[in-house]
Amino acid sequence: MRQVWVAAALVGSLCVLAVGCNNNPYPEHDAELKVLYSAFSTPHRSLDPAEAYNVSAHRVTGLVYDTLLEYHFLKRPYTLIPGLAKQVPTAEPLEDGRVRYRFTLRPGVNFAPDPCFELGGAGRVTREATMEDVAYQLMRLADPALNVQVRDQFSNIQGFKQFHRALIERRGADPAFAALPAREQYAALGGVEGVRIEHPHALEITLHSPYPQILYWFAMEFTTPVAWEAVEYYDGEAGRERYADHPVGTGPFGIDVYDKRSRIVLDRNPHWYGLADPRAPGAHYPEEGAPGDAEAGLLDAAYVGRPLPFLDRVEFRLEKEGIPLFNKFLQGYYDSGGIIKESFDQVVQSERLSPEMAAREIRLQKAVSPGIFNLGFNMEDETLGVPAGDRGRKLRQAMSLAVDSEKWIELFLNGRGLPAQTPIPPVISGAPEGYLNPYRQVDLDRARALLVEAGYPDGIDPATGAPLKLTFDAYEVSSQSRPERQYFVDEWRKLGINVELSSTTYNEFQEKVDRGAYQIYFWGWSADYPDPENFLFLLSCAMRKSTTGGPNSANFCHPGFESLFNQMEVMEDGPERRAIIREMVAILEQERPWIEIFNGVGYSLAHGWLANVKPFGMSYPMTKYLDIDPVKRARVRLSWNEPVVWPVFAIAGMFVVGIIPGFRTFFRERQ
Amino acid sequence: MLAFVVRRLLFGVAVVLGVLGILFVLFFQVASPDDIARRALGEKARPDSIEQWKANHGYDRPLWPWQDFEDNLLFHHYSTMLSFDFGASDVDGAPISQRIREGAGPSLALTVPAFAFGLGLAVLLGLFVAFFRETYIDTTGVFLCVLGMSVSILLYIIAGQYLVGKMLRWFPISGFDADPAVLLRFLALPVLISVLSGVGSDVRFYRTVFVEETGRDYVRTARSKGAGEVRVMIRHVLRNSLIPILTRVVLAIPFLFTGSLLLESFFGIPGLGSLTIDAISQNDFATLRVMVFVLSMLFIIGQIATDISYALVDPRVRLE
Repeated sequence: MRQVWVAAALVGSLCVLAVGCNNNPYPEHDAELKVLYSAFSTPHRSLDPAEAYNVSAHRVTGLVYDTLLEYHFLKRPYTLIPGLAKQVPTAEPLEDGRVRYRFTLRPGVNFAPDPCFELGGAGRVTREATMEDVAYQLMRLADPALNVQVRDQFSNIQGFKQFHRALIERRGADPAFAALPAREQYAALGGVEGVRIEHPHALEITLHSPYPQILYWFAMEFTTPVAWEAVEYYDGEAGRERYADHPVGTGPFGIDVYDKRSRIVLDRNPHWYGLADPRAPGAHYPEEGAPGDAEAGLLDAAYVGRPLPFLDRVEFRLEKEGIPLFNKFLQGYYDSGGIIKESFDQVVQSERLSPEMAAREIRLQKAVSPGIFNLGFNMEDETLGVPAGDRGRKLRQAMSLAVDSEKWIELFLNGRGLPAQTPIPPVISGAPEGYLNPYRQVDLDRARALLVEAGYPDGIDPATGAPLKLTFDAYEVSSQSRPERQYFVDEWRKLGINVELSSTTYNEFQEKVDRGAYQIYFWGWSADYPDPENFLFLLSCAMRKSTTGGPNSANFCHPGFESLFNQMEVMEDGPERRAIIREMVAILEQERPWIEIFNGVGYSLAHGWLANVKPFGMSYPMTKYLDIDPVKRARVRLSWNEPVVWPVFAIAGMFVVGIIPGFRTFFRERQ
Repeated sequence: MLAFVVRRLLFGVAVVLGVLGILFVLFFQVASPDDIARRALGEKARPDSIEQWKANHGYDRPLWPWQDFEDNLLFHHYSTMLSFDFGASDVDGAPISQRIREGAGPSLALTVPAFAFGLGLAVLLGLFVAFFRETYIDTTGVFLCVLGMSVSILLYIIAGQYLVGKMLRWFPISGFDADPAVLLRFLALPVLISVLSGVGSDVRFYRTVFVEETGRDYVRTARSKGAGEVRVMIRHVLRNSLIPILTRVVLAIPFLFTGSLLLESFFGIPGLGSLTIDAISQNDFATLRVMVFVLSMLFIIGQIATDISYALVDPRVRLE
């Protein structure tokens, strides 16, 4: 009888377990809220707007920190619109060659509520942001104590470099000064000369030379208003968090939970300026967009002109691995997501969404990324570079003609890329339209002819009588990425050139680059802002790796290109500038410091209940424009995720059936 | 006994000092502070930023005492580690000790139930197959154990997430939430996988121990006195098999604190295993150095505890 009760309890427990289980990773009471669920793959290094400089961090900081300028949600090419500023300022040339920009801040811009504001007065939970806060942040960008990766880009501001140096010197020389709060140190040094506050809502920025791209930096969180109270209060002492882990800004959302190794929750900022001023350009859904937006449902009358944001909450969960993340997207627990390589064929068939995915009302979005991946030659190399003169140039041209990017994209990216023709991605305004680089169309006969002209007939080096030997330095080559690099080696082998793939660690590679001991490399670059200058500067003399440590790893320095670059970088977009860019591209076409490989095409998926999805390409979250139908989501999730319980009973039954004969045999033998 | 403990502790201290020396060579000589800075700052970093970063993180000191006797990295490394002042992460400047404290909870939430259930199940199944020794249940059990041992934990994780999380939809595929209302939901699958992936080798081990014990004279005596088979297995065989069980258990306990690298990573559990994986992937040399040190300390503690526990549970063992 006792055994019967035990068996009954066991079966009962199994039933309870089977019925009580479900795979919903969120609390049930959240199901009906407009919560956007998204994921992040690694804990953020810093959410300090002076330091945060990657896509993952910007997905959080972009919601917390509003900027003076921002990008139009729908328009392409990318267009700047006023954010916290009343208008996009225009450059005012000064007589001595300097340039001035005047920004006017909207009134009524408040920080999200936070206990840090008690530092400014007992009982305060927020305060109005002023241009003092923007100036404070600009001074922080010059502060050597912060790991600011874009400091160079602000050095055009008059007195910026001097302020940076003064901070280093005074802190080194005067310990009492170094012990002061940073804000007091900045004040003691008189701030940055080119940053002047005319009144709390007017800021004047003076550049010592023209730099039209500066406006793009005012659309990034680097130049957001920062509350000194937050920086000083969140100092990591006495149980308080560090400011890098506790962002406080003027954006549409504020941090509610920040567990960087598990979960980040952002709630609506009740003091967001857009709630009081919904007609501000960045505070309502746009009335106009790019061609095709209306057809794509992005100018739906239900949204146009409506105040932002539409969501109640944004929640990020840590998902380190792609497979669980993708499966949870398919279960409806993430609202949007990418496509993992392993499931690409399941999701996309003949460039379109598979019928299985389409039946789930999942939408596929494609967008060319404003970035480029390229092979590069070290132009200071004796064989391949400038020292080899015309021989080197022809060798580079021949090698460029041999590489089939299209096939590479098909083999290794599931077709998710465009064969690149110039360093400037086609989505960037000012990129040469319809241009086909003659050295990026595969032509092995012409390549062989060029090799003959270069003195390497059939790839044979006359000095050795053997195939010309070159080295392709690739760092951190995994078993997965090795075939991707080997592909290029095999392409060059068709010309008879013997390129050796040398896999090194990241550090060894960097050392080789520092010593100039490399010949060929593979590299990539993503746009900071949508301007050709942000790509062409990668080939300017001033950015040479060998002399300045800059990002020009090809060490390309061409007087004609440089002269054109210097003209182009200070010009506004227009026909004249575009003509110069075409000239620059023509120089690169002949000189071939790079072999342009591809511009990525991002494939993203979104569920049917998520509205207003338009891929942006650059690292600017457009979350405030998104909307969710939570009722539909909850209904669909339930229907997709009903637990399957029969295997519990099947396994238990199989176990019992399996061991009963054993029991019988055993006890019969024992008896 | 006391002499033995002291001797083992001194030996442990020597090993710790040696481990610290190896760590120093690996983290400061093989990977220089310049490399560490470059890794932290990324490809767009300029040389002056690298120098500034090194200064901000204290990596601008000379490496060896003969370069600067009073202020060198070797002395700093030993003094900070031995005083458990682990400093700050290279990546985000957060105090590493705090990270370890925060990570211990989620790690223990995963490893303790996995360990307890795993141990209980392995002992139970070990007794079960030993009870049915030389029958098809025993053969099938051993076959399944060997099969289970031969499969990589990665396969258990991926198959578990696919079958249990995706197809059967019993538990979330991954994730973690410290809220007690949903915590069990998140832990169920990783605990199940942890138990299943480890139970094969444990059952084989315990089965061998139990089968060996069942042939002893005291078991025959118990049976001849009329004790039932179940009573013999539980009262006599299990009790007398405690030493090997204890050895295995004591050795495993310190590692409960360090969590599980793969499980935590795949399930997004913010424990110490995940912290170590993050440190590797983010080039956080400071955290990695500390985690390796903590791991070696725990290993040494586990070894000493095992040796001592021998003497405590079995009077026949003498420590000399």
